Amino acid sequence: MSIELQNIHFSYGRVKALNGVSLSIGEGATGLLGPNGAGKSTLLKIMLGFLTPAEGQGKVLGYDVRTEQKFIRRLVGYMPEDECFIPGMDAVTFTALMGELSGMPRQEAMKRAHEVLFYVGLGESRYRLIDTYSAGMKQRLKLAQALVHDPRLLFLDEPTSNLDPTGRQEILELIGEVASIRDIRVLLSSHILADIELICDRVVIINHGEIAAVGRIEDLKMINYQLYELKIKGELDGFRKELEAAGCRLEETEDRLVKIYTPPDFDHKKIFVSAARNQVQVRHFIRSRTSLEDLFARVVGVD
Amino acid sequence: MAEVREKGYHHWDGQLQEKSWVFWPITRTGIKLAFQRKRFKFLFACSFIPAISFAVGVYISERLEDFKFMAQGAERTLQVNPAFFKTYLSMDFIFFMILLLMALGGAGLIADDFRHKAIQLYLARPLTRLDYLLGKAGVVMFFVGLLTLVPAVVLLLLKLLFSGSFRFFLDYPWLLLSIIFYSAFLMLFFTCFVLLASSLSRNRNYVIALIFATYYLSEIARGIFYVIFRSPYSALLSIPANLQQVAAAFFQVKTPYAVPWHFSFLIILSFCLLSYFLIKGKVRGVEVIR
Repeated sequence: MSIELQNIHFSYGRVKALNGVSLSIGEGATGLLGPNGAGKSTLLKIMLGFLTPAEGQGKVLGYDVRTEQKFIRRLVGYMPEDECFIPGMDAVTFTALMGELSGMPRQEAMKRAHEVLFYVGLGESRYRLIDTYSAGMKQRLKLAQALVHDPRLLFLDEPTSNLDPTGRQEILELIGEVASIRDIRVLLSSHILADIELICDRVVIINHGEIAAVGRIEDLKMINYQLYELKIKGELDGFRKELEAAGCRLEETEDRLVKIYTPPDFDHKKIFVSAARNQVQVRHFIRSRTSLEDLFARVVGVD
Repeated sequence: MAEVREKGYHHWDGQLQEKSWVFWPITRTGIKLAFQRKRFKFLFACSFIPAISFAVGVYISERLEDFKFMAQGAERTLQVNPAFFKTYLSMDFIFFMILLLMALGGAGLIADDFRHKAIQLYLARPLTRLDYLLGKAGVVMFFVGLLTLVPAVVLLLLKLLFSGSFRFFLDYPWLLLSIIFYSAFLMLFFTCFVLLASSLSRNRNYVIALIFATYYLSEIARGIFYVIFRSPYSALLSIPANLQQVAAAFFQVKTPYAVPWHFSFLIILSFCLLSYFLIKGKVRGVEVIR
């Protein structure tokens, strides 16, 4: 396991940020998903050893988050959410400095800085002052500094924030490529569902400082519920009440499409029985593929 | 021959090292960035004017006969003794140049990191907060040391060289230690002073204003209190007065104010200790815990 946390609690004063978080993360790319303020960044900072949990224990790459932060930080690459850099430096000097601080010999760090800057697409502008970089370039630079010491585990905190669609696509492609490398694990924290769905095969959904769901995205989508999309004619109210009483959840979209989330063992014929009983005509019925968005809405309890 | 690689991500095939001086890259970068600032090199060069003048003084002091026409009546001033070194190390111009250089090259040491949220980048590496602070402190110490310790030791060596004997050294065998310890004392004080100011704001211009205002307002306060109370203890309010008191004690000359020198020494040391805890608290509190 690359990350193992048990019953982690953390509060900012009276505000409880994490409440008994336990999780295990292994190989590959894992998404840390949750609405703003859910506790994602706090969890990353605890795993990096920036914050000490009030309760609970945790290990990252086999090192204790309370006592062995130095070893964790040596093996972890961290791409923070904020726009952060050292002013007055060019990208190659900055990246090499970060490599050197991680424990690389000076010349090796400089050589590697050139390599990763080319890799993230900043090769041509690596001698430019960082102060003059665009938001997209700064985002790439943050990825470069996280990769410079060839980490075993990569923490990416909202890597596509403040990016235009093209920039977002490009940075996701880079992350996707890194995540596909066998011995680099990626933990991608984001509230953008599409980013997680594109990069990760596993997801941890966190809400109000607690784990709401965890597992392989495909499994979670399959196990937790089935989704049917209907177009109907008639009054929805009675139909809705009856299905909700049977453990389903209904949503109506703007274009009058009705989404029905049913429990895994629910017989879909009951939908037709209920429709007939409530004099509702079913004009379109399809079993839909569940998206991460649907899963998220279900576990977090928002539309 | 260089290896030709396919495009894409490649692992680094080296080994990460456990370094004992992990803060050194931060210091080196800070020094390099200071020299990149406009006017810094010019001011840095100007700050050696007193050292050059004193070196000329050392030379003339050994050739008084040759320079009789110039040095008439100045024999006492040109006498090279511990007071000569004390004068160099505690003169207002040197303190002013240290402040000026630190305003340009040191004010942003922590303030810029706060402003650009860079502290989390440092602390995401295998560094402690102490390593980070040592790295920043190294920058200030380097410049203060270059303006105090290095010229003072060079002046001592010039004195020995021009006199052609070790007599001066034998007369004052403790002088080298005084130079080293007082310079170290100045380095410690200015490091704490500049880093504390730098950690109190995200704006380097405010930090510059704070550095000069604190230094000179303390001297103004001394003057005001002296006028009101007529007490020499008002010197304890002033940064330069306290530094001069300690300098006088280190070089075994009469203190400029009729106050025990160890009061000044304790005040400066207490300030340094307090600064350390304040800076450490700021570095943790602002960037990492939000």
